[in-house]
Amino acid sequence: MMENQITLVRNYCSMLRETRTQSNEYLIKQLPVSTVFVDKKFKIIHASDRWVADFDLTNSNVIGRSLFEVFTEVSKSWKKDLNRVLKGISKLSGIENFHDAQNMEKWFEWINVPWYDEKENIIGVIIQTKDISNTIFDDIKLKKLEILLKDKSEKSKIGSWEYNAVQDKLTWCKNTKIIHEVSEDYEPDIDSAINFYKEGYSRNTIAMAVDKAMSKGISWSETFQLITAKGKEISVIAAGKPVFKDDKFLGLIGTFQDITNEVLTKVRTEEQERIFSSIFNSSYQFTGILNTQGTFLEVNNTALEFSDLRPEDIINKKFWDAYWWPIPDMVKDGLKQIIAAAAQGEFMRSEIVVMDKNKQAVPVDFSLKPIYNENNEVVSLLAEGRMIKEMVEARQKLKISEQKFRSLYELSPIAYILSDYETGEILDFNSSFETATAYSKEDLRNLRYADIVPDSSRHKLINFLKEVDSKGTYGPFEHMFVKKDGTAYPVLISGSLVGNKKGRKLLWSTAQDISEVKKKEKQIREEQKLLKTLIDNLPLNVYIKDLESRKVLVNKSELTYCGRTDESEVLGKNDREFYDEESAQISREEDLSVINNLSPILRKETISVKKDGTLTTFMTSKIPLIAPDGKASGLIGISMDISDLKQQEQELRDLINVTSIQNKQLVNFAHIVSHNLRSHTANFSMLLEFLVEEKDKSEQENIIKMLTEASDNLLETLDNLNEVVAISTNVNLEKIPIKINQKIAAAEQNLAAFLKKNNAQIINEIPDETYIRVIPAYIDSIIMNFITNAVKYKHEQRDPVIKLTVSKNEKYTILSIEDNGLGIDLNKYGEKLFGMYKTFHDNSDARGIGLYITKNQIEAMNGKIMACSEVGKGTTFNIYFNDKA
Amino acid sequence: MIKLNSIAIIDDDPITVFGIKRMLSSLNVSKNINCYINGKEAIDDFKSILKRNEKVPEVVFLDINMPIMDGWQFLEEFITLPIAHKIRINILTSSIDPKDRENWKYYMTRTHHILDYKNKPIQKKEIEEITKAA
Repeated sequence: MMENQITLVRNYCSMLRETRTQSNEYLIKQLPVSTVFVDKKFKIIHASDRWVADFDLTNSNVIGRSLFEVFTEVSKSWKKDLNRVLKGISKLSGIENFHDAQNMEKWFEWINVPWYDEKENIIGVIIQTKDISNTIFDDIKLKKLEILLKDKSEKSKIGSWEYNAVQDKLTWCKNTKIIHEVSEDYEPDIDSAINFYKEGYSRNTIAMAVDKAMSKGISWSETFQLITAKGKEISVIAAGKPVFKDDKFLGLIGTFQDITNEVLTKVRTEEQERIFSSIFNSSYQFTGILNTQGTFLEVNNTALEFSDLRPEDIINKKFWDAYWWPIPDMVKDGLKQIIAAAAQGEFMRSEIVVMDKNKQAVPVDFSLKPIYNENNEVVSLLAEGRMIKEMVEARQKLKISEQKFRSLYELSPIAYILSDYETGEILDFNSSFETATAYSKEDLRNLRYADIVPDSSRHKLINFLKEVDSKGTYGPFEHMFVKKDGTAYPVLISGSLVGNKKGRKLLWSTAQDISEVKKKEKQIREEQKLLKTLIDNLPLNVYIKDLESRKVLVNKSELTYCGRTDESEVLGKNDREFYDEESAQISREEDLSVINNLSPILRKETISVKKDGTLTTFMTSKIPLIAPDGKASGLIGISMDISDLKQQEQELRDLINVTSIQNKQLVNFAHIVSHNLRSHTANFSMLLEFLVEEKDKSEQENIIKMLTEASDNLLETLDNLNEVVAISTNVNLEKIPIKINQKIAAAEQNLAAFLKKNNAQIINEIPDETYIRVIPAYIDSIIMNFITNAVKYKHEQRDPVIKLTVSKNEKYTILSIEDNGLGIDLNKYGEKLFGMYKTFHDNSDARGIGLYITKNQIEAMNGKIMACSEVGKGTTFNIYFNDKA
Repeated sequence: MIKLNSIAIIDDDPITVFGIKRMLSSLNVSKNINCYINGKEAIDDFKSILKRNEKVPEVVFLDINMPIMDGWQFLEEFITLPIAHKIRINILTSSIDPKDRENWKYYMTRTHHILDYKNKPIQKKEIEEITKAA
């Protein structure tokens, strides 16, 4: 077809050479082949309508324009070709592609021929083109089919594929899809196809092969691993070929052949061969395979190395001619007979001696075994030799070790006794047993196991035998043995049952004389007892704790302190078991400090509170117990109960406090007395001085009147002082229990008029049976004083109400007297409230002595007084009557 | 002798008050002698004097042991009063308690007024000495 076109063009060319007329042009326009005429400068002179249509140039006038103006993306090679045609090279053809207005790639086959004028001068080029976009791929397919048929068609499981580079389209045939395990409608592309290749070698290789095929036109055919869509690894031979047309890369075509099974079979066979060969060659035995006539077919490396031979020295030689047989003739005959017998199907085996490469005789356990084919005919013989040199040596070693055992047996300080398990008959014993019991070998015949066990522990013996029966061994137990002279001694025995060749049950027993150990134990026990007695009788709490502060030892004092009678109730327990949370925590912290710092706590005073609330003051020392590794293994605690001492100390301190308070009061009192007396004396002295100087009679009388007043005041002061001193000196007056309400009733009666005058009300909420221990005279004065005060310092705007209540605590009965009077600013006067000659209100009859005396009386009865008050609201006095002292 | 505007005696003992008054009148230092039976009466009056913009007494005789408000409590309030010029305060007591002397020294450090401390009985000569306006 192509040839025809070219012919046609030629014809036109020869025609056109004649003239260039309008009719020519018209003719050219109508040419059925797309043709364009360009001049030497590639200017378009004529163009057929077909050409204009093919190149989609209908809308522009191409005549007179440069060819390269029209085809801007035309390749350089084409330009070169056109130039060559202009130089007279008669015809050039090729394939070119370009993108049309719809951006579709179009392929053209072109033929350029020179355009001659009538004088045979080249005046331009006639270019004839043909759109081959459709035919070009048919062409490629044709080629591919050819390859397939030629190379691979006869093989099974072959799949094909093609890649159209122009359309960038990859097509797989049905077989290829089956190989990849994808569905029939699967549409592959280059990337996904390459991804089926196993990562690593396969994928790299295919990528390089494709690259080489495209750039250098090289085909490939390699074995690859693919991972199918279902994840199966398969082996394939993949082949590929690039397709070029006139140096233009058009695509790739290729095939896949699944060779997985072949590869696997091959691998398996190789593996089996390798295994067999490695067993055969590395076996410790000498192994050879002979035919039934005794000719070597194979021999293993062990045999060759043993005799320093090469395979060719042996293979195809007769078995009996082999190097290692020491005494040729006699052995040869024997071997021939053995081989003959084996060839008949007999298995032969015997212990023989062979020579190694150094001509050393080596004992060998030799065997010859017939090998059968599937028809049960002997086809070859397997000759094997096992070196038994080691075994022989082992026998020797056993003999030596037995000797060693013998000497140990005889020299051991431990007694060994061999007895018949069934009959109890003693069969053997060592010299240690002889020394310990004074029995000799001569006694063996009549001695039974029961004879060396004292009657008292026969039952124990029975237990041993039971244990042997079930476990095959017994012990170690502490037991007694009887010497020949009948005396018993303690032993630690153990043993095991052994059977001899004749099935007789023998009992091997060992017995260690533990007389010394027992003696030591007793001694230690006694020492321990002594120590225990000692620490138990110490007037101190002694204990040992482990690292977790659990008690591992306590003495009697500690046990008693813990409130337990049995050690087991205390041992293994920590302080949390006995103390309250806080005490236990403090103790644990002390323990940790001792354990971690390895430094003792000495004579530390601690207050421990037990779970029941009992408070004990201890003088405690905690000393670390240091193990041989230098770390603490626990601690020893020693505590002394100093609660009594502490109590006494506290009492002493209290006493000092009381004394110092009393002392202060005394000094204070002295100052008051001095002040009061002095103020009167001062007045006397001053008035007397005035009197001496005074001439005026009436003035003199006035002064004398004042002197008398001063004297009265002094007397009153002295009375008050007397009263106070009386209280302070009468501390030893006896206290007796009295009903408090009786005293209140009496006071109310005495003050009846006074209370009535002031409209005062007394609310007594004290239970009738309330008793207090007091000095009767004082309680009268105290109650009178408080009731009087409450009324005296009443609030102007209300009638006085006095409420009496009582409460109790551990030590005191507390009488509360609450009024609704003026109240006292305690912030201001609190300190002075109970002071002497202190008054706080504007009352003219306030002497400043009542509360002072009351306080002294209460204190003289070991009580105390407290007040709380709010100005304008009232005052409450709480009087604490001491019930104990 | 320069006459004083007024003198105050703060003491609950009428005999002492009589004595001081008598001695002062014989010295003829001031016609105005005000007597108070405790510190509270005195401080209240002083406050009202100040309110009226009049002059507080220039010399004060002060007892310590008194009901309701004693000498020290009086002083405590007095030193806070806005009196720019110096007032002479003579503490007169029969106490020999060292605490009282300490208190006196303590108050001396806290005020610009003149504080004197005398034990009873007081002599006429002494009165003359301590009845000079500060």
